[in-house]
Amino acid sequence: METYLYITAVIGVYVGFAVFIIGMGWRAYQWATTPKSPVKLGMFPKPKTRVGRFFKLMKDTFIAPQSASIEPRMWLFSFMFHFAALAAFVGHLRIIQEYPILPELLGEEGMNAFAGWAGGIAGVLMMVAVIYWIARRTFGPFKQLSVPEDYLLLALLFGVIIMGNHMRFFGHGVHAETYRAWFQSLLAFRPMLPSELVYSNVGWSLGTHMLFTDLLFIYFPFSKLVHTIGAFSANLVRSE
Amino acid sequence: MESQQLTTLTGVIDKKMNRQLKQYMDICARCAICKDACHQYVGTGDFKYLPARRAELIRQIYKKYFTKAGEFVPALYEARDPDENLLEELYESTYACTGCRRCMYYCPFSIDTAWILSVAKSILIAAGMGNEMLGQLADAAIFKGDNAEMFEDVMISGFKEIEEEVRQITGNPEAQVPVGKQGADVLYVALAGAHSIRPAAVIFEEAGENWTISMFEAANYGFFYGDAEKARLITKRYIDEAKRLGVKEIVVPECGHAYRVAEFFYEAWSKEPMPFKVSHILEKVDDYIKSGRITVDKGIIQGKVTYHDPCQLGRNGGKFEQPRDIVKAVTDNFVDLTPNREKQWCCGGGGGIVAMEEFTKTRLASGIKKVEQLKASGASVLACPCENCRLQIEELNDIHELGLEIWQVIDLVVAAMPLPGNKKAAE
Ligand code: HEM
Ligand code: SF4
Ligand code: SF4
Repeated sequence: METYLYITAVIGVYVGFAVFIIGMGWRAYQWATTPKSPVKLGMFPKPKTRVGRFFKLMKDTFIAPQSASIEPRMWLFSFMFHFAALAAFVGHLRIIQEYPILPELLGEEGMNAFAGWAGGIAGVLMMVAVIYWIARRTFGPFKQLSVPEDYLLLALLFGVIIMGNHMRFFGHGVHAETYRAWFQSLLAFRPMLPSELVYSNVGWSLGTHMLFTDLLFIYFPFSKLVHTIGAFSANLVRSE
Repeated sequence: MESQQLTTLTGVIDKKMNRQLKQYMDICARCAICKDACHQYVGTGDFKYLPARRAELIRQIYKKYFTKAGEFVPALYEARDPDENLLEELYESTYACTGCRRCMYYCPFSIDTAWILSVAKSILIAAGMGNEMLGQLADAAIFKGDNAEMFEDVMISGFKEIEEEVRQITGNPEAQVPVGKQGADVLYVALAGAHSIRPAAVIFEEAGENWTISMFEAANYGFFYGDAEKARLITKRYIDEAKRLGVKEIVVPECGHAYRVAEFFYEAWSKEPMPFKVSHILEKVDDYIKSGRITVDKGIIQGKVTYHDPCQLGRNGGKFEQPRDIVKAVTDNFVDLTPNREKQWCCGGGGGIVAMEEFTKTRLASGIKKVEQLKASGASVLACPCENCRLQIEELNDIHELGLEIWQVIDLVVAAMPLPGNKKAAE
């Protein structure tokens, strides 16, 4: 168990993080250094002011009202996934540093219970959305559009989410402090795996959660997930 | 595949590469939200017409030859060579696309599939698979530009005939269709055919405009064909003419793509700033009506009137209100189609598809959404500016027995003007 965790929850994290940062930086650099299209590709109606363009960009990227109007169900599941993913991301920050204020208001017990509920809901929403996406791709009349990349990403996400949910719902007694001890040791470059984590009933699920996460992060910059940054500049073109 | 051909075709992508294209290649989620936006996919259910699929063919080449990941693990992206199979499907899906950009409107990343397909057209042309019909029409237009004197007499006698008609309609024996008039303010670049010149001439003359007619047409088959150089040369014909005559403003006819070419593309092709103000004729007409330079009467046009936004004029050109205001000036019985403006369904006749017989079946099937919209509106008169749209909708009108009266907007205007010749023309 220690070796497995050492590979996925220590080495893998470093490798995944490095590939992700360098890869995304490289991708952004490539985009930035390729000359813009000589033709203005905007469409009408266009906002006339910079502020208007900015708000339209935010609306188009985060709300995508046009997509919502044409395929509401897909939009709903996508919205669910992306916002749950955002919530999960914010939630994970707790293993770097405990939040200010909230724990004082709720108390330690209360904070853990709140995190349990919030994280649990986000995890379930993401799982449902990913299952919907897989089904839509597999059974939709346009299934030939999908390429292995699409399934690989969904499979990796599914793995990350399922294992995360396992830790959330079955990791009795293992709370943020324990994970924080591990994660802060990584940040300090003095990696250490707390034994109450390694030998708990969620030791292997953390290992597998991290396995999928590492792979997702390594693949991220080479996949369509670069839309995380590309969506903004592509949507801005609408107003040009 | 043969290595020389491969180098040529990937070289085309390399030359056409720009930031937008690269991002479109990298970020498409293949979520297929665009599928229901495309009248051709909706009308035929044919997978090759799904917008993201059309772009995916270019993406497959891009992944293999422009990304390391696709080079090492092509199977992951279904990356492949631009071989015969790929090119054949690409031909079908690229030249069928009407360039309406409705897919871009609905895409969560605003991916401009039509822009990706402009690169596809360059690839097809390099592979010797450019559409022949469009290529010939483009070459004929360029030939005319190079040998203008050969056509001059025919053109001028045609203008004279139209001038006679204009005199009858306006009742003004002095009315003119001025040719090559130095110092005119406006150069009107019409389409081939009296129908695009006569009503415009009536309106210009009645408005007291200082105008002159171009020897060239605004239609641009080089644009549809997908060859920027040909398209530039075709546009340059009237740009040079406008410079020679010293006009202040170029006015393009109702045709949708002509406006977009002049207003948005010419600068990029020629790398010079457009030296003239470009206006769409309906902008001018709207202005004449609102400023009282011409008068129109309500009540002459009978029945419920609706309006079709040509994609190149509306979503892609930004002219939503002026044409509507004109129609509303001639009738109180106006109804909009649903959806309309930037959401308007493409009629299926754009992008030069009406000139390519091989796509007739696709084209007619793709009009089904327009037919449904027109039926639901309950209108009996349709105002429809773009010539390609009109050809398509006229055909749909016959096949589906919609019983619509289909008008150019400027014809509606002339019919509603209190002119002595109108009674006769109406009969
Ligand atoms: C600011 C950040 C992001 C924005 C604006 C964004 C937006 C979008 C949009 C608009 C789509 C396409 C349509 C849809 O499925 O809704 C999409 C798809 C997708 N996004 Fe994101 N996204 C972001 C970040 C992420 C991140 C961080 C992940 C992964 C952890 C992710 C995973 C996915 C996946 C897997 C799909 C494809 C769904 C499918 O298979 O059809 N996105 N995203
Ligand atoms: S809607 Fe946009 S991102 Fe989705 S498949 Fe179509 S082009 Fe790609
Ligand atoms: S531009 Fe129009 S015709 Fe072309 S793929 Fe998009 S929706 Fe279809």
